[in-house]
Amino acid sequence: MIIKNIFYSIIASSILFSAAVNAKTNVIWWEYSEEGSGLNDALVKYIQDGFNQSQDSVNLEIIFKEGEYNEATRTALLAGVGPDIVSSSGATYVAKYASGGFLMSLEEVAEKNGWKDKILPWAYNTGVFGGELYSLPKNYESMLYFYNKTLFEENGWSLPTNLGEYEELAEKVQAKGMYPFAYGSSGWPMTHEHLAGNYLNTVAGPDSVYKAMIGEKEWTAPEFVEALELLKKHMMAGYWSGSLENYYAVGWDDFSAQFHNREAAMLQIGSWGFEIATALEGDEWGWAPLPILTNDGGEPNYQLSVGGTLSVNAASKNKNAAAEVLNWIVSNRETIVEFTKSRNFGAWLMPLYYEASDFGDDVDPRLRDYLVDFSERTGNGHYGYTTWTYYPPEAGTHIWKDMEVVWAGDITVKDFLAEQQKLWEKARKNDELLPIAAR
Amino acid sequence: MAPFHFLMRHLSNRELSSWFFLAPVILIHMLVVAIPSISSLALCFTDWNGFGKINFVGFDNFIELFDDRVFKKAIIHNLIWTALFLTIPIVFALMAAFLLTGIRRFQMFYRFVFFFPYILASIVNCLIWKYLFHPIHGLTSFFNSIGWESLATSPLTTKETSLYAVAFVDGWHFWGFLVVIYITAMYQVDEDLYEAADIEGASKWQKFKYVTFPSIRPMFLFSFLIIIIWSVPAFDYVYILTSGGPAYSSEVVANFMYFEAFRNMNVGYASAVGALMFIYVFFVLGFFWSLRKLGWEI
Repeated sequence: MIIKNIFYSIIASSILFSAAVNAKTNVIWWEYSEEGSGLNDALVKYIQDGFNQSQDSVNLEIIFKEGEYNEATRTALLAGVGPDIVSSSGATYVAKYASGGFLMSLEEVAEKNGWKDKILPWAYNTGVFGGELYSLPKNYESMLYFYNKTLFEENGWSLPTNLGEYEELAEKVQAKGMYPFAYGSSGWPMTHEHLAGNYLNTVAGPDSVYKAMIGEKEWTAPEFVEALELLKKHMMAGYWSGSLENYYAVGWDDFSAQFHNREAAMLQIGSWGFEIATALEGDEWGWAPLPILTNDGGEPNYQLSVGGTLSVNAASKNKNAAAEVLNWIVSNRETIVEFTKSRNFGAWLMPLYYEASDFGDDVDPRLRDYLVDFSERTGNGHYGYTTWTYYPPEAGTHIWKDMEVVWAGDITVKDFLAEQQKLWEKARKNDELLPIAAR
Repeated sequence: MAPFHFLMRHLSNRELSSWFFLAPVILIHMLVVAIPSISSLALCFTDWNGFGKINFVGFDNFIELFDDRVFKKAIIHNLIWTALFLTIPIVFALMAAFLLTGIRRFQMFYRFVFFFPYILASIVNCLIWKYLFHPIHGLTSFFNSIGWESLATSPLTTKETSLYAVAFVDGWHFWGFLVVIYITAMYQVDEDLYEAADIEGASKWQKFKYVTFPSIRPMFLFSFLIIIIWSVPAFDYVYILTSGGPAYSSEVVANFMYFEAFRNMNVGYASAVGALMFIYVFFVLGFFWSLRKLGWEI
């Protein structure tokens, strides 16, 4: 009899529990899956559970999609369904989704909740299309220069501040039987655009890049030719993994190992490279902004980049609840700091207005220095442009895919840039340009 | 009701029941394959970017395609790819199948060994060969250490060899399939013919030339047909191993189409590539159909 009663009680409480859950508004969010690194669990812990525990009316569920989640999202949106919260890889996707009418304007929510005072302006503007906000930046990135500090001290090397010092250092490193930089494109050929962006922003300079992007300068201008000629020269000299062929054959695990095993002295990579640097054992590591590669050097800049966006599906039946989730994220800086700290600041570093006190004493001072320096430098106007945040789709593919053609010697840098110019003109004509952080 | 009466008058009961049982398959095929294919073909006359408004642009996509240096390169690579697969794997598979039919012990073991790469996922095959070709810790590094510098670079990373290296890896996984279908065909050959050839004193080569090969000709031509057709959408090995690089040296039409549709977001343009692929396959099938009409056993 007792067992029977317990059984009935369990059934009754299950019914009551599910009724209580069902009374909530369900919000579905599709996110790309990164099971191996533990990012999925962290996202559930900090965002899904954090939000669900903060209120009683909305139940957030994050569903992780394997493989190309952008394609799954696009197909769902075209079919008039899909998740309530739409995640994408960047502004290129948001531009297309917004122009197709698949996203809800977040303008009203943003204004009501003062998002402009919480999100860094350059990052906020990457989600504005036709004067309306359509996406939130999920993560910000920049290109950095990591180096093996112990190795530098042992050999009496110092960080370069101009082109002459940069080339001299590379020669010294090579003379020691090491590669100047650990890097390669196997599995992710888009690394070519990292290098191209680095040289465009440190040789031609961000002012010229900005002018070319807004159409006040041609991409065939001598400073761009010089920048990419220099990149080609350094690539052929084996700066990255010893040779062009090695660079093509080396992937993430390989170049991480090169940096860890003293096969390479430095690593030019995005801020996600902190993950590699912090895993260095035995030696000390350091970081610096990319040096300006002209004869006189100059004030270094950080290339701006937004990695990943969040929007609300225009076809969602729970648009307000979905917007409430986004507002909770923007308004909970402490949770975001905890979350990104758990990922070594390599993911979910939302471009919010942080204060030094946000990070606490347990954060690696090198990481904190970078975050503070990034804010200060970019605040003073020393910023450049990453290709994957500011280039329209075709020019963005061309910059890395056809760079190989230049390196193979099949076309000249000038011909390559002439093609870039054509693709930018085409994008401008078709109104496909992305929002560009003004100078 | 008129069409129904028409069918009842002109079709026998047997034919009607055949159509009745085929109907679900035809319906599913129409919904899942035919209608989406036809609608995607219609996109080749538009400038659709995959999201927004669809504008009709006539034959602009085709005109642009015939002027596209990468597309032209990809077509040449597909032709080379087809020629490679129509020769090397076929020759090796015929030889292996013929030799295997002559052995009694461990035959199943060898058949399994040859067929094994075919059942592995393409990503697994590609990773195996990527590591073997790796210049720092693969076989190429070993060749470098013993002074064979010409073999010290990964063939996947030089523009002169990348297409052949990808075709080699794909061929390595594919040839076992050919071995199995040729062996199956060879087992159907009448034993009396071999006995007659033995009485005539035929050598092994003569038996292959005058008995085995003519007997398996329909299967041989079938393998020719599927290789020509399967070479058109060749994609996975290229995408995983080289992404069409370096410098488009291993670019093929399907990879080009993928990049246009999903990277450059030129869905209309990519559909034009798909339409041309469809037309090519249609002509290949028409050619083989004509051979059949001429009395060839296919």
